Amino acid sequence: MADNQMVCATCQPKGLCGGKGLVTFKEGAWANNPLAIQVLGICSALAVTNRLENSLVMGAALIFVCVGSNLIVSILRKHTPHRIRMVAEVAIIATFVILFDQFLRAFYWDMSKQLGPYVGLIITNCIVMGRAEAFALQNPPIVSMVDGAANGFGYAVVLAIIGFFRELLGAGEILGHAVPGFSSWYTPNQLMILAPGAFFALGIVIGIFNMIKGPDPEGNK
Amino acid sequence: MKWLLKVIEKVRPNFEEGGKLKAFHPVFGALEHFLFAPSAATIGAPHIRDPLDLKRFMSMVIISVVPCVFAAFYFFGLRFLAMIIVSYAAGLTVEALFSIVRKEDINEGFFVTGILWPLILPPTLPLWMVGLGVAFGVLIGKELFGGTGRNVFNPALVGRCFLALAYPKQMAASFLEPSHDVAGRLLSWVDGSTADAISSATPLVLAGRDEMVATSHMFLGSVSGSAGETSALLIILGGGFLLLTRVANWRTVAATIASFFALTAALIASDKIVYNSMPGVFGPAIWHVFAGGLLFGAFFMATDPVTSPTTNAAKWMYGIIIGAVTVLIRNFTGYTEGVTFAILLGNIIAPILDEIVISVRIRRLRSEG
Repeated sequence: MADNQMVCATCQPKGLCGGKGLVTFKEGAWANNPLAIQVLGICSALAVTNRLENSLVMGAALIFVCVGSNLIVSILRKHTPHRIRMVAEVAIIATFVILFDQFLRAFYWDMSKQLGPYVGLIITNCIVMGRAEAFALQNPPIVSMVDGAANGFGYAVVLAIIGFFRELLGAGEILGHAVPGFSSWYTPNQLMILAPGAFFALGIVIGIFNMIKGPDPEGNK
Repeated sequence: MKWLLKVIEKVRPNFEEGGKLKAFHPVFGALEHFLFAPSAATIGAPHIRDPLDLKRFMSMVIISVVPCVFAAFYFFGLRFLAMIIVSYAAGLTVEALFSIVRKEDINEGFFVTGILWPLILPPTLPLWMVGLGVAFGVLIGKELFGGTGRNVFNPALVGRCFLALAYPKQMAASFLEPSHDVAGRLLSWVDGSTADAISSATPLVLAGRDEMVATSHMFLGSVSGSAGETSALLIILGGGFLLLTRVANWRTVAATIASFFALTAALIASDKIVYNSMPGVFGPAIWHVFAGGLLFGAFFMATDPVTSPTTNAAKWMYGIIIGAVTVLIRNFTGYTEGVTFAILLGNIIAPILDEIVISVRIRRLRSEG
């Protein structure tokens, strides 16, 4: 697909698709953070972030799937017929998601039960598919892996931030343990455990990201 | 508004030089300014189609809740004063922070929210929750939308919704049996730790256990409930003033109460009232109107000019939706009280209702023209 005419949706104006290493990583993890800037994949971000532990595992799952699928899609990019590329991508992504799911079931059964269907639903996560489409199809394998890692990392960090505050405020605990000097007097705020709390937390995190990042120099929001 | 101006003009000579009550001129002056002499007209009006200015508007609402504030002191004691102070302190802090960031003056917008807020809370709620709730309401419900006049939701109700979801146990346990003395609790302080504080269920909760509170008690207000919502009489008194001065629109109030009344009466007639498990002892429909926060919500919350629709037809629809949703929530969900949620839902729909009314009107004008 080296000669394909597709325009990259996220970074084409900046021409960073062909960027190398660090540039790609910064772009994926910070400047185009999938959750905080592009607001992709928020279903899972809202669903699993009620505890920090769940958020971390979910983040790890996304990093694994993103890196793996981007690598394979990139390797196969010159051999995949253009018209069936989406089917191929889904098959590749599903393979990695099932791998991770089976790994959780085998070694961390409790965690697997807590996350429920959300691990399986990574297949439909816009971020994974988006990176495969937008980046891996047009770039060599190593840079594609970096891009997958960057986006997975950006997603995982935001998820961890939300999970940290939701568990701290909602249950008064961190990773299931009482926080010294805090949990003894703190009254848990049950809203933070509920889905609306996730909306508030995500909204505030996105707001803070945008404040730090400042207005887009090109003026497009 | 004119009659009020006339009254003031009529008594003015008494307070001027040589009048009988000259010593009280400052009081008269202050009252006159409070009501009729704005320091400056608001430029970015919160209610674009209304000739009143923001300051006088807010003053009228504050006067109209005085009876309810009195009822709160009388039935639940001096602790209510602490709730008012915390409410203003926390809310104004958030307002001030945003004013500094925006480089604007602090406007009068919060003064009404600050007094309405403690009135819709259970009377022995921990004070930090009073502060947290109002801070959340003002921050998320108002400031993030752009400040006074630009909010989609009533900030006090956003705060109450927040507390109801975040601390359901404490909210339910903070209701207090009102004083049944003639002297009331005007000079006593009662909070959760005081000996004579009996956390008591509200009439709606009691109704779920087949205990019906007498309608006359609900009318006078000697029942458990949020601080300002118990006395139907005083709410109607203050709310009536608000309607007379046309600060609140009577259409919203009438539509809310009428739709609530009609739907409740229909449910009673068909034996379908659910929150009373024993069929046949529902109490009359008017009992349900007096119960809980319906009247307070209809008069003081739903009529908020910023968050309610601006066209008259939309106001009718808005009120009907609020009344009907309250009935549905009270009878067919796990919540015993639904006025907060109903009005917030109404707030969401309000701009759409306006849009519908205006587009229908434009279409009619086009077809005529």
